[in-house]
Amino acid sequence: MPDVRVLIVDDEPDIRATVSAMLEIEGYRVDEAVNGADALRVLEDHAPDLILLDMRMPVLDGWGFARELRQRGHRTPIVVMTAARDAARWASEIAAAEFVAKPFGMDDLIRAVERARPAT
Amino acid sequence: MSALELITLVNQALFVGLFLVVLAHAVRRPSRATVDTALLFGSIAAAVAVSVGATAVGLSDAAPRTPIVLLLFNLAPYAMIRLVDDFSGTPRFMLHLGAVAYVVIAALGFAFTVQRELVQLAIIAWFLAVGGYAAFAFAWESRRTRGITRRRMRAVATGAVAFITAVVLLFLNGMFSMDGVILDIAAQLTALTAVVAFFVGFAPPEWVRRAWREPDLRRFLEQSTRLVSVADETAAMAELQRAAAAAAGADGASIGVADPRRGVLAYISRDGERVEYPDDQFIAGRAFQEQRRIVAIDATALDPANAARYEQSRARTVIAAPITRGDRRIGVLAVYADRAPIFVEDDLWLIELLADHTSILLEARDLARQTGLLEAREEAARLKEEFLSAAAHDLRTPLTVVLGQAELLERRTARNPAAPVDAAGVSRLTKEARRLRDLISEMLDAQRLEQGVTMDRRTTDLRSIVTTVLERHAEEMSAVAVHLPDEVLSATVDGPRMQQVIENLLDNARKYSPDTATEIRLWREGDEARIAVVDRGVGVPDAERERIFERFYRASNARDITDTGMGLGLYICRRIVEEHGGLIWAEPTPGGGTTFVVALAGSTPPASLPEQAEPAHWAPAGDGTEAVADA
Ligand SMILES: [Mg+2]
Repeated sequence: MPDVRVLIVDDEPDIRATVSAMLEIEGYRVDEAVNGADALRVLEDHAPDLILLDMRMPVLDGWGFARELRQRGHRTPIVVMTAARDAARWASEIAAAEFVAKPFGMDDLIRAVERARPAT
Repeated sequence: MSALELITLVNQALFVGLFLVVLAHAVRRPSRATVDTALLFGSIAAAVAVSVGATAVGLSDAAPRTPIVLLLFNLAPYAMIRLVDDFSGTPRFMLHLGAVAYVVIAALGFAFTVQRELVQLAIIAWFLAVGGYAAFAFAWESRRTRGITRRRMRAVATGAVAFITAVVLLFLNGMFSMDGVILDIAAQLTALTAVVAFFVGFAPPEWVRRAWREPDLRRFLEQSTRLVSVADETAAMAELQRAAAAAAGADGASIGVADPRRGVLAYISRDGERVEYPDDQFIAGRAFQEQRRIVAIDATALDPANAARYEQSRARTVIAAPITRGDRRIGVLAVYADRAPIFVEDDLWLIELLADHTSILLEARDLARQTGLLEAREEAARLKEEFLSAAAHDLRTPLTVVLGQAELLERRTARNPAAPVDAAGVSRLTKEARRLRDLISEMLDAQRLEQGVTMDRRTTDLRSIVTTVLERHAEEMSAVAVHLPDEVLSATVDGPRMQQVIENLLDNARKYSPDTATEIRLWREGDEARIAVVDRGVGVPDAERERIFERFYRASNARDITDTGMGLGLYICRRIVEEHGGLIWAEPTPGGGTTFVVALAGSTPPASLPEQAEPAHWAPAGDGTEAVADA
C-alpha cells in the first residue's frame, strides 16, 4: 500500500470520523479539517496528496477553499463529496478530479480516491 | 333706440328663443321636467309676446292687456315650484299651495288698474317667496349632489335669485317711479343673468355639459388607473363605484362583476359589503342578460318586483350598461339617482364610456391577480423544491455515516473476527440512525402541525421545562448561560411541545452561531411569561425576520452556513406557540446575533400547589438568577 496522505474537509464531525476510518482501514494516512479555512491551515503543516472536500461549510466553503488552494499554487487533486444533487456540476466548477455523492458506500469512496490520487 | 330698449329687446328675444328650444326638447322627450321647464320659459315668453303684441296694435297699459300679461307672467314662480319638485323633491302641499297662490295672484291681476300698489306688492311677495324657496331648495340640493349635477343645481339656484331680483327691481321701479332708466337697465341685466343661468341649469347645451364633465371624467380615469394595483378587491370596487357616480353626476353607481359559472353578479354595497345577486336580477341584471343599455326613468315601474329596493336605495332612475370586452361579458355598470331629470339623453354615451373604461380596468386587475397567483404558485413550488433538496440532503448526511460505519464493521469482522468492537464507530452509527429518525419525525410533525394538533395543556412551571431540556442535552448545551427567575413562573402549556420549542431554538442558536455565547432567559413581563433564546451569531437579515417562521423557509445567510436544515424548526416552533395562543418573534441581539422571544399568557398557580420547578444543578450556589452550566 503506497504511502498516501489524504486531507478530509467536512463540517460534520461524524462524516469526518467515518470517512477517516474507511480510509485508514485501507492504509491511507488521514488529516482532518472542519472547514475551508481550517484546511488551509492544515495544508501549511503537511501537504496532502489528495483532498476530500465537502462543498457546503461555514466560514470558508468548498468553492472558496478550492480557489485559494489553486491561488497558492497547489495542484493537489480534489475529490468532492456532497449530499447535493449538483455534485457533478460542483465538481466541474472547481475542476475537481472526482466526486462522490452522499450517501456513498466504502467501495464508491475508495474507487474515487484511487482514480484521483496521483500515480506513484 | 336707447340702450335700455336694446337690452330689453335682446332679453325678450332670448326668453322667446329659449322657450322655443326647451319646447322642442319637451316635444321630443316629454317628461314632467321638460314640460315644466317649457312652462317656466313659456310663461315668460308668452307674457313678453302679449305685451309686445299689444303695444304693436296700440293697446297701452289698460285692460285687458295688463291682467293677461300678469296672468301669464305669474305662472313662472309656479313652474319653478314644480321644477324644484322635479329636481330635488318638495312636499306635496307646497305644490298645492303654489297652485292656490297662483290663482289668487292671477285674479288680483284683474284689479290692477284699481288697486295698482296692492297688486304690485302681492306680486313682489309672490316672486320673493317662491323664488327664494326655489333658490334655497336648489342650493341645498347642490350640496348633496356632485359632479355635473351639482353645477346644474348651482346654476339653477343662481338663476332663481337673479330672476326674482330682476322682477322685484322692475316692480319697485313701477311703484316708486325712481330713476327709471338705471333701475330698468339693472333689472334687464339681472334678467339676462337669470335666463342664461336657468338655461344652463335646466337644459345645458352639449358643449357646456362636456366642459363641465371634463374634470370629473379626467378624475375618473386617473382614479381608475390607480385602482389597477389596489390589492383589496372590495376597497377597489367601492372606490371605482364612487368614481363612476361622481363622473356621471349620479347619486351612486353599482358595478356588478359576473361569475358566469355560478350565474351571479357581485356588487359592493353602500356600506362596503360584497353582495351577490342572480345575474338577471334588477335592471342591472337585465342589461347584463340582454347585453344592452337600459334607461329606466322610473325603475319601480320597469321592475316592479324590486320596487321596494329601488325606493329604499333612492334609485328611482337607473341607467345600466353592460361591461363587455370583445365577447367577454365582464359585468354591468349601473348609475342611479333619486330624480330622473339630472340625466339627459347625452348622459348615455358617458355611461357607456364609463362601462367601457371599467371593463379595461377590471381586465387589468384580473391580469394582475393572475400574475400574482402565478408568482405565489411559483414561490410555493420553489419552497417545496428547496425543501425536498434540503430534506434529501439532511437524510443523506446521517445515511452516509450509518452506511459507512456498518460497512466498516462488516469489513473489520471479516478481516479479523476476533478484533474488539469499534465502540466509537458503533456509537456514531447509533447517533446518526437516531438523527435520521428525528429528521423524519420532524417532517411528519410539521405536516401534522400544519393541519392543527390539540395540545395537552397543564399548568406548569416553565423553569422546569427549561431545565429538562438543558439536562437532556447537557453535552451540546454546556456553554449555554441560563437566567431563571427565583419564583415559580407558570403557564398552561403542553410540556413536551414547549420543550420541543426550546430545544429547536437552542439547536438553531448552536447551529447558526457556533462558538459564541448562547443564553436562555425566562422572566415575567406583565401578565406574560417570556422565554428568550439569545445568540450572538450572524443574525437574520431584517427583511427575513418574519419569513424565517414560514414553512420550508431558510434565511439566506443560514443557507450559506450549512445546507443542513429543512426550514422546519422555526415553523414548528411558531405553530406550537400559536396553538398555545402565544407569540414568537425574532429580534436582533444588541451587538449582533438574534434573540428569539416566546410570549405566553402567564398563570399564577395557587400557593398550595406543590412546587414543580426544580432549577436543580443549573441554579448557582449564589443568588439563583444566573447559572452557567459547565457539564
Ligand atoms: Mg457540509
